[in-house]
Amino acid sequence: MSNTDDTKLIERCRSGDRQAFEDLLVKYEKPVFNAAYRMLNSRDDASDITQTVFLKVFESFDQFDPTRRFFSWIYRITLNESINWLNKTNRLEPLVFEAADDGKGPEQEVDSARVTQDVQTALMTMNTDYRSVVILKHFLGCSYMEISQILDVPEKKVKSRLYTARQQLKDALTGKHQ
Amino acid sequence: MTIEQKYTDLINADIDGEISASEKAELQAFLDESADGQALHDNLSSICATLDAVESEEPPPHVRHVIMNSIKPTPKPEKAPGFLQILLATPAVKYAVTFAAGVFVTLSIMDSDKISNHAFDDVTGLVGTVADPVNAALASSISVTEPDLAGTVSLRSAETMLILDFDLVAKSHIDIEADYTDPSIWFNGFAQLESEGTTISAETGRVRLGMNGKRRYAVYLHNRGGRETTVNLRFLADGKVVHEASLDYTPTR
Repeated sequence: MSNTDDTKLIERCRSGDRQAFEDLLVKYEKPVFNAAYRMLNSRDDASDITQTVFLKVFESFDQFDPTRRFFSWIYRITLNESINWLNKTNRLEPLVFEAADDGKGPEQEVDSARVTQDVQTALMTMNTDYRSVVILKHFLGCSYMEISQILDVPEKKVKSRLYTARQQLKDALTGKHQ
Repeated sequence: MTIEQKYTDLINADIDGEISASEKAELQAFLDESADGQALHDNLSSICATLDAVESEEPPPHVRHVIMNSIKPTPKPEKAPGFLQILLATPAVKYAVTFAAGVFVTLSIMDSDKISNHAFDDVTGLVGTVADPVNAALASSISVTEPDLAGTVSLRSAETMLILDFDLVAKSHIDIEADYTDPSIWFNGFAQLESEGTTISAETGRVRLGMNGKRRYAVYLHNRGGRETTVNLRFLADGKVVHEASLDYTPTR
């Protein structure tokens, strides 16, 4: 993730350059949408969150700390907005996971759509702290240090959350999760 | 099984590619001795491979368009307004000028029953109301979310004027047909935010538009009787209909 390019774009955005904002939008629309979608399990809600995030970013360029990375900032806004959305809609309670009992482990599943759906269902069984680290690590490709910055928690905490999250996912995907 | 925290951290770091050479050697030595450790490594590797195999979702095509249309326009260097701009800043005058432009076009239509031209470059300056039609109430609106075409079209009304407000983005050239069969309605004018890029032709009961890229424009129709009516829209790419919709106007009594 090139922070230099982002910094230049943000400078142009601050001077009211719409094209620069559109460039940022093109670059980050998909990861922001995917992060929201994995948090909320709804394309419609993820679309709304994506719009909210970019409008907040547009209105808050003056508050952006240029010593930080833009993607850390926008991903943090995305996760916070998603969690706020879950709070507002009372959907913080984990869903009951209904694992398909086909005798296959996740590594044997060949149908990628089915895998995707199973993973999404399993993700929704986890609390938002664990879901966030999985999303940042596996769907947005962030490093431990980057996750630490985005979530504002120590790297050690990131590692332990990631470990627990993966154990939960493994249990959920193999149908052991209760 | 209980595995020391230090080794679970190393297993995670190895899977995540965040392990140094010395740590890797230390981990390997541990895994060679620990069946539980190796099993954990295999399990976590498997779950990570599953997670990494999840395909990312494409955002709906309208999202980007909606965002760009929601942000404030780029501030431009301020310059002292000219007489014409001051005059046109008055809604009544602006509306009157729009109407006059419409009458001009209408007379042309009545003369030939058909015109075809590129949009007037100066109509933007005359109207400037595409984003904020003067006292125009929203009658109905539709969203278009096709793979190559997205955005909204709204039908607004202001007294005897109907305004079709197009706010669209197209990946390639799109033709749009707006049909209004009511004979008491006629084409009355056109305006767009950009000074060029949209083509328009009009004939009795139908307006045809051509566009590509991101466009915001308005078609003004005169609804002489202020009557209830429907405008049928067809969006075509390469002559094939990609989307159809209707916009209804019901007068408030």
